[in-house]
Amino acid sequence: MWNTVSKGAAAVERAVKQYLPPCQEQCPINEDIQRTNVLISLLPEDPSAAAPAILEIGDYLYDKNPFFPVCGYVCGLCELECNYHAKGGAIKRRLLKRFISDTYIPYLETREEWTLVKHRENVAIVGGGPAGLMAGYDLSKRGYRVTVFEASDRLGGALWLIPRYRLPERVLASTLEGMVRMVGMDVKLNTRIGQGKWTLDKLKNEGFKAVFIAQGTPTPRTLTFDRNPVDGQDLSGVMYGQTFLYEVSHGNIRPNYFTGKKVLVIGGGNVAFDVARTARRLGGETAIVALECEDKSSRDGIPADVEEIRGAWEEGIRIVYSRGVQKIIGESERMKGVVCPKCTRVYDEKGFNPAFDPADTLVLDGDVLIVTVGQGPDWTALQTEGLVDAHGRLSVDPVTLQSRNRKWAFVGGDLRKIGFMVEAMQDGLVAAESIERHLQERDMTEGRKRVFEVQDIPMRRHYLTEPEVVWIPPEKRMHFQLFERGFTLTEAIEEARRCLSCGPCISCKACVSIGLRDSLNPVEVLTDRCCGCGICVSACFYSAIQLKDVDMGRISVTDAFKCKACGMCVSACPSGARTLGEDPLDAAVITLAAGLQKQVGAGA
Amino acid sequence: MDDEPKLVCFSCKFGWGYLTKQEGLKDASDFLMPVECSGKLDAIHLLKVFKEGADGILILACEEEHCHFQEGNFRTVKMLYLLKEVLQAHGIEKDRVRIALSLDPEGRSIPGRIAQMKKSLMALGPLNRTLL
Repeated sequence: MWNTVSKGAAAVERAVKQYLPPCQEQCPINEDIQRTNVLISLLPEDPSAAAPAILEIGDYLYDKNPFFPVCGYVCGLCELECNYHAKGGAIKRRLLKRFISDTYIPYLETREEWTLVKHRENVAIVGGGPAGLMAGYDLSKRGYRVTVFEASDRLGGALWLIPRYRLPERVLASTLEGMVRMVGMDVKLNTRIGQGKWTLDKLKNEGFKAVFIAQGTPTPRTLTFDRNPVDGQDLSGVMYGQTFLYEVSHGNIRPNYFTGKKVLVIGGGNVAFDVARTARRLGGETAIVALECEDKSSRDGIPADVEEIRGAWEEGIRIVYSRGVQKIIGESERMKGVVCPKCTRVYDEKGFNPAFDPADTLVLDGDVLIVTVGQGPDWTALQTEGLVDAHGRLSVDPVTLQSRNRKWAFVGGDLRKIGFMVEAMQDGLVAAESIERHLQERDMTEGRKRVFEVQDIPMRRHYLTEPEVVWIPPEKRMHFQLFERGFTLTEAIEEARRCLSCGPCISCKACVSIGLRDSLNPVEVLTDRCCGCGICVSACFYSAIQLKDVDMGRISVTDAFKCKACGMCVSACPSGARTLGEDPLDAAVITLAAGLQKQVGAGA
Repeated sequence: MDDEPKLVCFSCKFGWGYLTKQEGLKDASDFLMPVECSGKLDAIHLLKVFKEGADGILILACEEEHCHFQEGNFRTVKMLYLLKEVLQAHGIEKDRVRIALSLDPEGRSIPGRIAQMKKSLMALGPLNRTLL
């Protein structure tokens, strides 16, 4: 019975100016969040009937976002802007997606690949992380022959640095494998571009007409104090966060590796917390030393997410706020501790410029020091390939991602700007569009900057509170299995029903796709009947109606973008000035009445 | 059957029977009418069906706080409160209009609810349409 349609009247439209629900506006790739939330809310409660329906929703998501099974575990950017945020808690969109993901992954592993006609040019992708794979996926679907060059021995890039207790290996591996297989991308592993014989020129000679460079940020940033590198970073026991996470994900670090050791983690970002929580799970007595202060609302507040801080705190990780590292104390080539002066300011008007109070200094003992203060691109390779300008910065157009030095090269992902996974994916999509325009010699910028307006929270008397997210208690989660419990079918339906579906219909159309409605028909106002009383303004839950002064007097007008065609204003209007076009309800009531009359007549 | 009461049932598409084929639900009553939102119903619609021969009206609306269009169900409850007063002033029993606020995706309870209401309509007897 459960069957959705995504074509014709039910296809989601894109427009240059359009309203979106805030979650979709916030999502860098504008995933159809509202549509899939509504579809989840209409799932059958019987698991066997729901399973094919869940896959249908998954297929719909997959088409636009093949990384969605991973997003369901690690992203949740949309939740930050949810209209419900201030009224009872954001919709748990990430967990809803994870719920779809859990059913979808086994299906994806055996899903039959698409038959795509690859009749277009060869395109090279340098770097098999989220940005590169997303570009490759999109270009393959457009008919380009894509080859991905990956420096390491597996695709995924920085996604492998996400600890397993947050993202299970199977989800990531299957997603990556599925992407490559579904669209038929060529992959060359262990091939580093910009080093040795593999150069951009060689790619050009091999027949690649365009290249997307998304090599990410493989180089850890070193610890500095007063703009000078801190001495002692070559001591035994000092390592960098990225390297550490890489080794853990490759299984090169045995369990209980840190048992009986004191681990100090420097940094206040999410990666530092990943490192600390991983070190804690390896048995270390762990402390985080962050430059930033505890108050997240201040300018100098710690950048890590609240959930990470809470998780770390629960797991017994000590967090030392507002401390820098001035010196690493070494003893016979081993690191023994760090000297931490109080940090009085992190940022000033110009940006990052920490100040310290030398009188207030703390000495922390430790056996292992893991520096996680950020990472950067491999500048040498970029310089050799001539992708930087005279100031040593990347020379790239921020809108089209086209390199200013080499017109056939496009640059994106963390390499261009460090951000969330989905921001890298967005770069991939932007680059794919740019590459197509470049190869077809079309205008590179026309219509690229899209302006979205966000719809406000609808009016209602009650708002529902968010469900509690269940974490395994800290004493039972000192392992690399997931610590967060996902939604059951019933919980997912319940949470999806909480979604206010505050965005406009045109970017959703869930009800049309599932057959609850034939089409969307916004309200029309019969101006000769409207007296401008304004009852409709208060009847509308979506603030779609306004009063407007015209020559004849005052009338009401409806914003067709905001109108949901619910008919509240139609039934509220005392002068019958509002209609839903050819509303099936009116016609149906007439038919119904005719049927009644017939029966009454027969009975008499 | 000539003396069977004529019951018109309006049901919200977002809360009732969306997992069942609409034709299947039609069997439950000759006069079942799915609507996008119960809040869309106007008193005029209800009076019209009374006037044309209905003996009673059953409205199946979404659960409280779960209307897809925010509070359409609440609007209907408010509207019905007033409508019932008006009907009573004209000598028509309030019980001829009922609303159920619940969720039933498969619509299993719809035939039962209709039968139950028909039974109480039977006790009330046919509606004297001259009162309208």
